[in-house]
Amino acid sequence: MHHSARQDEGGFHWSLSIDCHAVDRYGNADFEAVFQDVRFVQEVRIGMMKREDKDRLETLHIDEKINYSKSIVREAIGRFGIDRLAVAITGGKDSTTSLWILKQVCDELNTKPPVCMFIDEGDVFDEIDELVDHIRKEWSLDVVSLKNDDVSSLATHIGRNVRVADLNEKNRRALEEMGYTGEEFPFIPDSTICNHLMKTVPMREFIVRNGVLGLITAIRWDEQSARKDEDFFSPRTNPDHTRVHPVLHFRERDIWVAIFKYGIPYCSLYRQGYRSLGARCATGKASDIPAWLQDLENTPERVGRGQNKEQVMDQLRALGYM
Amino acid sequence: MFGIFRKEAKQRKVVVAGLDGVPYSLLVEYMARGIMPELSALCAKGSLHRMKSSLPEVSSVAWTSFMTGRNPGQHGIFGFMEIDRNSYEYRFPNFSTLKEKPFWEDHGLKTVAFNIPQTYPARPMNGVLVSGFVAIDIDKATYPDRVLKYLKSIDYQLDVNARLALQSPDAFFDNMFHAFRKRTEAMEHLYDSEDWSLFIGTITETDRLHHFFFDSALEGTHYPVFEKFYRELDRFIGRMAGKAAKEESLFLTCSDHGFTPITSEVYLNRWLVEQGYLGLNGKEDLTAVDGATRAFCLDPSRIYVHSKGKYARGSVSSEQHDTLVKEIKEKLLSLRYNDQPIVKAVYNKADIFHGDYEADGPDMYILPEYGFDLKGALNKKNLFGTTHFRGMHTYDDAHFLISEKREFQDISIQDIADVILKYLRQ
Repeated sequence: MHHSARQDEGGFHWSLSIDCHAVDRYGNADFEAVFQDVRFVQEVRIGMMKREDKDRLETLHIDEKINYSKSIVREAIGRFGIDRLAVAITGGKDSTTSLWILKQVCDELNTKPPVCMFIDEGDVFDEIDELVDHIRKEWSLDVVSLKNDDVSSLATHIGRNVRVADLNEKNRRALEEMGYTGEEFPFIPDSTICNHLMKTVPMREFIVRNGVLGLITAIRWDEQSARKDEDFFSPRTNPDHTRVHPVLHFRERDIWVAIFKYGIPYCSLYRQGYRSLGARCATGKASDIPAWLQDLENTPERVGRGQNKEQVMDQLRALGYM
Repeated sequence: MFGIFRKEAKQRKVVVAGLDGVPYSLLVEYMARGIMPELSALCAKGSLHRMKSSLPEVSSVAWTSFMTGRNPGQHGIFGFMEIDRNSYEYRFPNFSTLKEKPFWEDHGLKTVAFNIPQTYPARPMNGVLVSGFVAIDIDKATYPDRVLKYLKSIDYQLDVNARLALQSPDAFFDNMFHAFRKRTEAMEHLYDSEDWSLFIGTITETDRLHHFFFDSALEGTHYPVFEKFYRELDRFIGRMAGKAAKEESLFLTCSDHGFTPITSEVYLNRWLVEQGYLGLNGKEDLTAVDGATRAFCLDPSRIYVHSKGKYARGSVSSEQHDTLVKEIKEKLLSLRYNDQPIVKAVYNKADIFHGDYEADGPDMYILPEYGFDLKGALNKKNLFGTTHFRGMHTYDDAHFLISEKREFQDISIQDIADVILKYLRQ
């Protein structure tokens, strides 16, 4: 996979090359429409989102949902400026759909999309790499790949113990900050320690280094209960920035409807039965039929994530279940 | 969500000691025998109640009802496993697939939630989460990391090694006491070192001991182990209650279901095969379910109608559905084991489940008489059998202790959330 990022040996280094010409072109033909949308957004977002507003947004027609997403993106561009925005991309269905919407808005505004940030947490499916490479070329994206090379060069395979003393100072500090003082830890992508080292740390550094004010991510209300109270614009600290969630109101099925209606590219793993994608070692198929043919409303989307089926079965059997 | 508690109410605290699988009737008996003096003292000041579990009366469902204060039709957890409606493969719902938030998240309560079953994998929350059964990897079972570091430093054990029970009872008991001591050590440490307004710590060694040895709970070969273990448990309860009393917190203990000895296991899928409702082509796997199948069972006694349109090979039409349910219900109610009735009640879906996810629940749920452990096992050649398991869950003999004199009408585990919230809002 080709990324435009370079990494130096000492830690993280990312090159950024974005033309900044969006804001001054922001006010011509689209101005009225943009402004109306922004007003609507602000009305809805007063305080905590009301239940009725959430319900209304969740039941909109797919094209209205996309229009609403576009209004969020336009507001984000207006608020932060295209050069202070970044997009987190994962190669997953939500991320790619959200990115497609962003691309539509950028085309309408005749601007280049914001920089795309791809986090390589150390165990990425090849199929994900292929998809990211495909959309990078197709949509002329500037994709920056973030990888904590210091950690992954020591972790030659999943489960391999990494000695803390062998890590560079930056990573040792990060472990200290999370309260970890052990001598070593196993390299298991999606584990708490690895998420911190491989995802949080590089992402924070990226935000700081590039002065990112708004980070667009593709979380959805219906994905898991921890996300059901999220807002379209969500302020974060450490470092200070705002998360922007353009497809928050999409349900899982809406994503697939949008993908097929607008020919949005998707990762081939979904055809094999995967429904939600994470690190390869921590992600299983939800079924053997394509994701979009599964019972999306009545079976859990993230069932294949973060668990080892064999070990769960083993424990249940030991207690006489199954 | 915010601002519902007045200032003085904010300082109120609640402590819950969850005692997985500890029956009301056993506690009453052990207090009478003088094995649990601390509990007796608590009962003198507060009140002990017999309580109902959830239906199904298994830990995953019951503790989820405890955490959410909701019916399975609302929180979406109906058992430890489900099957995929297309591939018929097992799926394992976990904390990430829960449809409701625990009440402490919904009400912004700073909470320590320790070893509650069905809370794996752990996710960030306002407080501390250490996942309970079925937790696989301690790294994913713990939030935040400083707690993970602490647990590793004391060599905390996520669960008892249940496989030992079959190999060597003595090794199992050693392992159980070890796990229990680590668990209580960690719990008391978190109690003292963390900031919280709700503390929930659950003991699961009780359930493990009961599954394999409940025939010794009152007398028999392993009775001395029960007595020794419950004396230790009583001292732990006393210490926790003492800590709570010192800061005038409300103290509760509760179980998710009761236990009773097993007369016989009853294999409902075998029964469905014998009655011609289930076809597996000679295999021991639901992925082999054939198109003629009309019903199948998932543990412990959830019966699902193999409906057309719902399952890939489903064949029962909506017109046939009610007749089939009625027919199975009548047959099950007449099932006997040496002239003893096996089934106490058969519930239809709408009798016991309500909420947005009601449709995901079983079409029927079978509640057995005490002694008949209904199972969804697929590898059985006979309807009845016994294994190394000696205890089964009961629905109506869970317990609830509260450090106040209180009366409750017909309390069930789902009601505890409300008791806690009302206390905190007072």
